[in-house]
Amino acid sequence: MIVSRPSIYIYVNHPDGDTLREVHSGIEEEGVFYEVIERGEDNVNRLAYDAANDSMLGSGIGILGNTVAFQIRGVEYGKNVEQYENPTKNQSRIIGANSARAIKKQSFK
Amino acid sequence: MYIAGVDIGNSTTEVCIGQITLENKVVFLSSTSCPTTGTKGTISNTHAIKSALKEAMSNIGKDVSDLDLIRINEAAPVIGDTAMETLTETIITDSSMIGHNPSTPAGFGQAVGEVLLIQDVSRATPGKPYILAVSKEFPYEAVAQIINRIAGAINIVGVILQADEAVLVENRLQKKIPIVDEVARMAKLPAGVTAAIEVAVPGQTIRMLSNPYGIATLLKLNAEETRIITPIAKSLIGKRSAVVLKTPGGNVQENVLPAGEIHLKAEYGGNVNIDDGAEKIMEAVNKAGTIHDIYGQEGTNIGNMFKNIRGSMKEVDGTDTQVHITDILAVDTMAPVLIAGALAGETCLEKAVGVAAMVKTQQLPMQKIAQKLEQDLNVKVVVAGVEAIMASLGALTTPGTKLPLAIVDMGGGSTDAALITENGDIATTHKAGAGELVSMLIQTELGLRDRHVAEQIKKYPLAKVESLFHMRMENGQITFVEDSIDPRFFGRVVLLTENGLVRIEEDIPMDKIVQVRREVKQKVFITNAIRALQEVAPQHNLKAIPNVVLVGGSAEDFEIPEMLMEEFAKHMIVCGRGNIRGSEGPRNAVATGLVLSYRK
Repeated sequence: MIVSRPSIYIYVNHPDGDTLREVHSGIEEEGVFYEVIERGEDNVNRLAYDAANDSMLGSGIGILGNTVAFQIRGVEYGKNVEQYENPTKNQSRIIGANSARAIKKQSFK
Repeated sequence: MYIAGVDIGNSTTEVCIGQITLENKVVFLSSTSCPTTGTKGTISNTHAIKSALKEAMSNIGKDVSDLDLIRINEAAPVIGDTAMETLTETIITDSSMIGHNPSTPAGFGQAVGEVLLIQDVSRATPGKPYILAVSKEFPYEAVAQIINRIAGAINIVGVILQADEAVLVENRLQKKIPIVDEVARMAKLPAGVTAAIEVAVPGQTIRMLSNPYGIATLLKLNAEETRIITPIAKSLIGKRSAVVLKTPGGNVQENVLPAGEIHLKAEYGGNVNIDDGAEKIMEAVNKAGTIHDIYGQEGTNIGNMFKNIRGSMKEVDGTDTQVHITDILAVDTMAPVLIAGALAGETCLEKAVGVAAMVKTQQLPMQKIAQKLEQDLNVKVVVAGVEAIMASLGALTTPGTKLPLAIVDMGGGSTDAALITENGDIATTHKAGAGELVSMLIQTELGLRDRHVAEQIKKYPLAKVESLFHMRMENGQITFVEDSIDPRFFGRVVLLTENGLVRIEEDIPMDKIVQVRREVKQKVFITNAIRALQEVAPQHNLKAIPNVVLVGGSAEDFEIPEMLMEEFAKHMIVCGRGNIRGSEGPRNAVATGLVLSYRK
């Protein structure tokens, strides 16, 4: 039997290194698992939407180049919960933390 | 003929339009309300009156000039004010402690060591236990790397971080140690002093640092020092992580401020010490009979408080005559006050007392308002009838009421009561303390920055947004929504207002807000309704009143009428929210009474 850890999916396509690093730091600080998966998709809405739907926890992040979007399963396609173009380090950290806090039912930062 | 009744209240101005038919019957056509402009009883009230009249007349397709007569109320000449004063205060000098609830501390257990700034690690003595203090300029990888590198040589037993990175650092450490993060004022942390640090096991709160003997054990304190640090232990109760520093010159005090006495100048006057609490004060006030004036002992907190109240009332009154406080309502409360010398915004619950006071003023210049209105509108304006009588007349239009009837008018500044008997005798009274005191106490007890938020908490029920698709109401009911809720509300406690959700910024559990809100309303309105009715009741006996109708702004509240109903059921009194003319709810009683009384 293959058992995968319940984790937040981060679907990426040529992600900016700093952005990705800060996003998963944010998730790790909140104590939730994450997986980074490379996808050949050039629509950040699609990346985030698929990540959220494929994640067992229902929370996903899409990073396309230097655009980052956070989506929750059940929320309409294209209506991302949070999204940044060229985020600062702190914004990336917060979007990661929020994707984890959504699962923990804690208020967003 | 068309006739308008106008009621100028402390917070709202209400209008009722009626038509007198040829058979001399009154037909009610329209009513509106709008916020009062300026202080009640001043000329600036006319702006609100005019706009309310305009709206009410346009509702029936008429113009203000079609009115034949405007009747305005003889407003009760009382002004209310509120004040709050803390009675104890905790001062911690030289920043002796940090205790807070960061959402993600890391590791667990306690540790004692000397504070070592991360930039000074090269100067540390091997073998000596150290608590490492790290400002936010150092990224978590670098911190973890430094700690791992020096682990063999220098004994780091705990870490204090400024950034929110405790878990990130801990995940990269070879040897696990307790880490406290999100300590904002890092610069105040003195290097070289002994510190004790504790992080609780998940699901528990700290045990050692919230216990005076625990602190004494960790920091090796003697009996006298242990006595001094007791307030620190007290303020750390319930926290998930804490730091206590042993500063040689440091000092902690829990001052009991000289609270002072209240002097009652009355029929059966006397002095009450504020320290005795609100219950004793109210006992004295109730026994005092007719009160001529109330003042506080000079040079004490309560003295200053009464001085401030007098000052602000004098402004409202606009006269130079002596202001006499004729009634007060005192309520015990707890206020979270920022501790002097805190490092992460810690607060301590201090004992406080809230007071609402009321003064009788000279007759308010209603005649002047009437003249100004008559000039502006070219319609005859008369000042007609005392507010309490008009309110009673209006309240009588509530279906199911009969004489003798008592009304309790719960407004913003004061709680008023009136009793009409079958033969038309009327007794009235005004008591200090109503909606504004409730708002003030909610603000104080919850430590809210904004009075407006407290007012909204008073008015609207709460819910917690548990996911983007559902929320849990304060009564436990769960509501699902079709469209996802705005993520800004996620995980937050919100108010359900008619204009949608309003977020409460402060991180206070919903249960706590509900508990404080209900307690405060009970302390103010139940106490005051009973006080007021006892005064107007025959022989001061509540049982002699068969019917009580609740009117005024606070009677519209979603829980106050129920609270009073429960209380009065004990005295076999029928009590309920008024429904003026069977349609207006508890509002518009005075305006309706003004129109009705024209017929008589």
